Amino acid sequence: MRQYILRRCWHMLITLFALMTIMFFLFRLLPGDPAMTVISSAMYPKAQEAMRAQFGLDKPLLQQYLIYLQNLITFDFGYSFHSSRSVSELLGGRIVNTLVLILPSMILAYLLGAVLGALMGWYRGGRFETAMVLVFTVLQAAPVFWLGMLAILLFSINLGWFPPGHLVTPGMFVNRDLWMYLSADFLHHLALPFIVHTSYQIAFPLLLMRSSMLSTAGEDFVEFARIKGLPERRILFRHAARNSMLPVATTIPMILGWALAGSVVIETVFSWPGLGLLMIEGVQRSDFPVVQAAFYLIAVLTILGTFVADILYGILDPRIVYD
Amino acid sequence: MTDPAPLSPLVEIAGLSVRFRTKRGPGDVLDAASLVIPAGTSVGLVGESGCGKSTLMKAVMGVLADNAEITAGQILHNGTDLLRADAETLRRKRWAEISMITQSALNSLNPVHTVGDQIVEAIRAHRPVSVAEAREMAAQMLALVGVEPRRARDYPHQFSGGMRQRAIIAMALVLQPGLVLADEPTTSLDMIVQDQIFRKIRSLQAELGFSMLLVTHDLAVVIENCSRMAVMYAGRIVEEGLVADVVNAPFHPYTLGLKNSLPRIDRTSEPIAIPGAPPDPVDMPQGCRFAPRCPFALPVCRSQPPVLETVGEGHRSACHRNAEIPGLRPRAARFATWHDTATTDITEDIQ
Repeated sequence: MRQYILRRCWHMLITLFALMTIMFFLFRLLPGDPAMTVISSAMYPKAQEAMRAQFGLDKPLLQQYLIYLQNLITFDFGYSFHSSRSVSELLGGRIVNTLVLILPSMILAYLLGAVLGALMGWYRGGRFETAMVLVFTVLQAAPVFWLGMLAILLFSINLGWFPPGHLVTPGMFVNRDLWMYLSADFLHHLALPFIVHTSYQIAFPLLLMRSSMLSTAGEDFVEFARIKGLPERRILFRHAARNSMLPVATTIPMILGWALAGSVVIETVFSWPGLGLLMIEGVQRSDFPVVQAAFYLIAVLTILGTFVADILYGILDPRIVYD
Repeated sequence: MTDPAPLSPLVEIAGLSVRFRTKRGPGDVLDAASLVIPAGTSVGLVGESGCGKSTLMKAVMGVLADNAEITAGQILHNGTDLLRADAETLRRKRWAEISMITQSALNSLNPVHTVGDQIVEAIRAHRPVSVAEAREMAAQMLALVGVEPRRARDYPHQFSGGMRQRAIIAMALVLQPGLVLADEPTTSLDMIVQDQIFRKIRSLQAELGFSMLLVTHDLAVVIENCSRMAVMYAGRIVEEGLVADVVNAPFHPYTLGLKNSLPRIDRTSEPIAIPGAPPDPVDMPQGCRFAPRCPFALPVCRSQPPVLETVGEGHRSACHRNAEIPGLRPRAARFATWHDTATTDITEDIQ
């Protein structure tokens, strides 16, 4: 097991390195010179050159690449073109906002989805179950921005139960500290994007778990568990659902990456100041360091998620060989 | 092997009929099958794949597939009709009173739980013991079947085929049930391991005194392990009796054919296969279900189903020509009888 984790760590480092390299060249392949967004062509050529030297753009490409790697590893993303604050500072608060929305909602979606999917697969064929399959298929097919807009229309504008967006009521909190994240006001604002995101994300694990259950229910060991005279609930959870979870667990890294990237959409709809919204703002303002850093962080979080899911899978399925 | 005179039946299956709903129509997989398992004995049930042997077992266990329907009959176990008992009573009886050694141990064991845990859960589903006590019981039983108790912490895929089968046997016997159903318990194993497993089962049976219903397509296994046997063909019991009687003096042509298909160690004759294939369950023959493959079939065989008739002491056979069979046995042992029926059957009948 320890060897397996070490190997997975090693794989993770290679993936990170590949990611950083691709990103370095990707941003240099973009049309236009990013430096021109800060260095005005109206400046004296001498001043322009001085600024280029300040950004390190006068150095050979290989040296630029090495400096870039060093900076990324130390989480030094430079300064925002727009606000002149350090990018790390800008990202710091934003990443928490994204994680506080996406992670609990993903965990809930997978837990609830797995349990509901297991029950639906086990007690298949009823009218209620058919209706549920339809509802969740629609939820999965619906674009998340559309679901968000519908939810705002219904729960915020018509019913007035939840605020339509933002982290907290503007002006209520001076410092964005732990207390803010624990306040009722924050939770009240969190509720609607959380519900929308969870309902959207729950469909996939639920439908997958259901179909996985349908095939596991026909396995010999499930029939054998019944022959052993185990209580029905134990057969359902310890045998059928436990084994059906394996294919569902493999999708966690993929879906987590998808959800983090998808935070762009849900955060825009709910004006939720997270990484996704920051990325949108960065793109609109041609704020390259911010976009690059947000891009990088989302990718790093996805790689970390994959790593955790790999370990989880190793624990779930004893047949995985660790060497 | 002798049959001690009045044995109280532990399980009595009477007139059991099971019908499967299929896309092509209903299939009569079991038709009025009756079988008695006396306490403390081993009964063999022999037949080809798909003849209904496994369906009979599943009916006793109460785990028939959703599309199966029991249309008639009863299964009496210690006087209780299992087909009319409620679900919770059945659940309690399973494993504690009737356990099962399955055909494929690899598929019966859940790959994500350790072998020990799977034995422990079977114990704790029926006995109010702690996990530690259950582990102790499992360890003792594993040792008894010849698996090192420390291997209980291993997962099924870490076991060899023989060890997995032993683990299943340990699991089946750990609650000391009165009846063990064994569904081709060694088909997936090589001959040497197969022999070891059956030796182990026989010695455990002598020690613990359980009854066994051994379902197999291998006549040799029955000869070695059972005192009574029944032969099943296409969902019907066609012959039953003491193993010695059925094997030495078979009455039903299907049993004669089965005996021919046994390879002989002395090589006095080559094995003869029964030509043709068993009938389609959704389209069973009208009369005797074996008639289309039977070299001795008469017109009456194709129109009237034969009933089990007594042909010897505790020996019954369902054939219209029971009385003539002793005279037909030499012919049944010839290859030509089975494989050139079109030319030989009629001429020899005239002679």
